Amino acid sequence: MENIILLIPSIPIVIAFILSFVSKKELIPKVNLILSSMIAVFGLWGTYYVISNDRSIIGFDGLLIYNELSAILVPYVAILGLVVRKYATKYMWDEAGYRRFFILLNFIFSSIYLLVMSNNLIVLALAWQLLSISLYLLVSFNVGSNTAVQHARWTMIIHKGADLVFLFAVILTYKTFDSFDLAVLSEKWLAMSHSPVDNPTIFIIGLLFLIAAMMKSAIMPFHIWLPYTSEAPTPVSAVMHAGVVNVGGILLNKLAYLLLLTPMVLNIAFVVGLITAIFASALMLVVSDIKRSLGYSTVGQMGYMIMEVGLGAFSLAIYHLIVHGIFKATLFLESGALIKFARHDPNLPKRLSYELFWEEKIKSHTKKAFNYLAFFAILPVVVFVGVKMVLSEEFFTFNASIVILAFAWLTGTQLFLSFFKVSKADSFKVIFALVSSFVIILFTYEFIGLSLEHFIYGHNALLFYKAATLNVTIAMSLLMIALIMIIGWMFMYKQHLIDIPTDKNQANTFKWFFYKFLVKEGNYFALLHRSKKGKK
Amino acid sequence: MTLSILMLFLAAGVPYYLILEKAKINSKLIFVLSSLLLMSAIILSQYIPNEHNTVLLSISFASTVYTIYKASKTTNFYKLGYYLIFINAPFFLLFEGRGVMYSVSLLVSLLGIYLIGRFYEKNYASANYHYIRGITLSTPYIGTFLTIYLITLALYPPFPNSLYFLGYVLQVETSLAWYIVIITIFFGNFVLAMKVMRESLFGRPNANIHYVDLNLNEKLMHLGVIVLLLILSFNGLKEILL
Repeated sequence: MENIILLIPSIPIVIAFILSFVSKKELIPKVNLILSSMIAVFGLWGTYYVISNDRSIIGFDGLLIYNELSAILVPYVAILGLVVRKYATKYMWDEAGYRRFFILLNFIFSSIYLLVMSNNLIVLALAWQLLSISLYLLVSFNVGSNTAVQHARWTMIIHKGADLVFLFAVILTYKTFDSFDLAVLSEKWLAMSHSPVDNPTIFIIGLLFLIAAMMKSAIMPFHIWLPYTSEAPTPVSAVMHAGVVNVGGILLNKLAYLLLLTPMVLNIAFVVGLITAIFASALMLVVSDIKRSLGYSTVGQMGYMIMEVGLGAFSLAIYHLIVHGIFKATLFLESGALIKFARHDPNLPKRLSYELFWEEKIKSHTKKAFNYLAFFAILPVVVFVGVKMVLSEEFFTFNASIVILAFAWLTGTQLFLSFFKVSKADSFKVIFALVSSFVIILFTYEFIGLSLEHFIYGHNALLFYKAATLNVTIAMSLLMIALIMIIGWMFMYKQHLIDIPTDKNQANTFKWFFYKFLVKEGNYFALLHRSKKGKK
Repeated sequence: MTLSILMLFLAAGVPYYLILEKAKINSKLIFVLSSLLLMSAIILSQYIPNEHNTVLLSISFASTVYTIYKASKTTNFYKLGYYLIFINAPFFLLFEGRGVMYSVSLLVSLLGIYLIGRFYEKNYASANYHYIRGITLSTPYIGTFLTIYLITLALYPPFPNSLYFLGYVLQVETSLAWYIVIITIFFGNFVLAMKVMRESLFGRPNANIHYVDLNLNEKLMHLGVIVLLLILSFNGLKEILL
C-alpha cells in the first residue's frame, strides 16, 4: 500500500497530460492545485511512514526509494510547489502561454522528485537531464525577449556540460563498482571506508560528480547562468532559486559515502565553496541590478552549502538549502506582490527597516507588554537549549559548520546594512539585532543540524567529519569570527569617518581597481568577449 | 571489408550529400534518399556482421565534424534532417549491432522534422525557417511538435534517442576514440537542435508573415510520430533499466 508513495514523480506528468486537454482557462489552476496537493499529502504520508516505521520504502525493482533524505525533501518541494502554483495562478494569468507554463512547471517538479527519490544511477542521470531541458524551456518562457532567450542559452550550455560530466561519472562508477543501485553502492562505499583507499579512479569519479553538482548549483566558475536568468517569470525564479540550484547539494548527499573515500574531493569542495561564497557575496553588494544582486546572493549561499559538504556537514547542507530555498522563494514571490502594490499606490512601499528603526511609533502598553512577554519567553528557551547543547559532547564534534555560519551571518549583515542603510540611525539597536540574530541562527543550526544528522546518517555521520581533513576546531572558529567582526567593525568605522575626496586628495587606486573589478563581475564577460575576438 | 565499406556508405558515414548538392538535387530528395539508405543499413545489419573498423570510423568521424559545420549554416528543415543522419553515422558504426535502435529512433524523430518541413513548404513556400520566428506563440501546435522533435534530437529524456544513447554508452568498453565520438555526437546534436529552437520557436513573431497552424489531419500525423517515439521510449527505458 505504501508503495503508492513512489508514484510521486509521475503525478506531475499526469497533471501536465491532463492540463493539455483542459479547454477552459479557469479550470487549469484548479486542476493543477487539486492534483498537486495530492503530492504534498503523499509526501507527508511517506515522511510519517519512514519516521514511524524506521525503514525506507523501496519499489519499482529498487529503482525508486523513499528514505530519510526523501522524507525531508519531498514534502519541502511539494509544499513549495503548491505555493508557487497558487502564486502563479494569478501572476501568470495575463501572460501568453498560461497552459504551457503550468505544463512546463509540472515537468520540472517531476524531475526534481525523480532526482530526490532515485535509487539508481541511471534514473538519477535521466532526472538530471530532464531537469536541464525543463529549466531551459521555463527560463526562455518569455520567448519574445531576445535577452531571455540568450540567457537561457547560456544556462542550457552549462547544464548540458553538467549532463555530460555526470554521464561520464556514472559510466566510471559502473565500471569500477559494477552496479547502478545506489543502496548497493552506498553499502560498498561504506565498507571500503573502514580501510584506507588508494584508487585514483575513485578520486576522478568523486571529482566528476562534484563538477556536475557545481555546474547545476551555480558554483564558480559555472555561476554565470543564475544571476542572468531573472528575466524569467517570478514563479520560475522562485523555483530556480529554491529548488533547481539545490540539486547539486542533493546529489552530493546521495553520494555522501562515495565522498568518504575521497577526502581530497571534499577539500576541493570546501575551497571552491569558500571562493564562491566570498566572491559572490562581494558581487551581490556591488552590482547595480537588484535581480542580479539576488542571483549572486543565491550563488553565495550555494557556495556556503558546498563548503558545508566539504567540511563533512552533509546534513547541514540539506538544512541550509531548505532554509535558503524558503527564504529566497519568499523574497521573489514577495517582490511580485510589491510590484502589484506599487501599481496601485503611487508612493513607494515602506521598507521594513524604515518601520523598525526610523518611524516614530505610537507607544502602546499592549505592544510593550507583548514585547516583554515575547522577550522573556524566547530568551530562557534559547539560553536553556544553548547551554544544554554546549554542555553536550556532540556539540564539539559538530563545530566545523560554525565557520560557515559566521560567513553566512556576515553576508546577511552586509545585506542588512547596505540594503536597509540602518547603521547610523540607531546603532545600539542594530548591533543588538544583529548579535541576537546570530545567536539564534547559531543555536538553531546546531540543533537542527544535529537532529538531521541523526535522522539521515545515524552513527555514520561522524565518519564524514573524519574524512573531511579540513576539520576546524571550535577555538579556531571563534577566533575567525572575532577576527572577521573586528575587521568589519574597523571597516565600518573608517567608512563613516573617511574624508570626502577632493581634487587635492589622490584617489585610492587599489580600492578603485577592486571596485571596478567587482562591478564588472570579475571581468568574466570581458574575458569571454576577448576569447571570442581571439577566435575571429 | 567490402561489406564494411558498403555499410559505411549506407549508414551515411561518407558525405555523399556533397555530390548530390552540387548536382542541384532537391534537398527533400536527398533527405528521403539518405533516410532510405540508412533504413537499408539497419535491415542489412541484421544479416551482415558489422565489424568495427578504425579507419572507416575515422572517415565517418571526419564526415561528422564537417557536417556539423554545414548544418550550423543551414536554416532549411530538409537539409537539417539529412545532415543529422550524417552526423549520427559514427554511432551506428561504433556500436555495431547495438546502434540499430538508436538509428531507428533517429529516423522516427527525423520523420517528424520531415513533416514539419513539408508543412513549411506548403504554407510558407519553402522549408526554410529563417524568417518564421516565434512560432511557440503564434502557432502553438506546430511549436509543441517541433519542440518535442528537437528535444528528442538534442538527446534529452524521456525520448528514445537519449535512452538508447545512454543504454549503449553504459554497456560498451570505452576507448579514446569512443570518448571523442560520444562527446562530438552528444554536443553536435544538442548545438544544432538548440540553434533551430532559438531561430524558429523563440523570438518575436514576424508581423509580415501570415502564420498558419496545423489542421486536424496534420495534427494526427504528428501525433502518430509522437506515439511511435513514446513506444520506442518505453522500449528504451525497459532496455536500460530492467
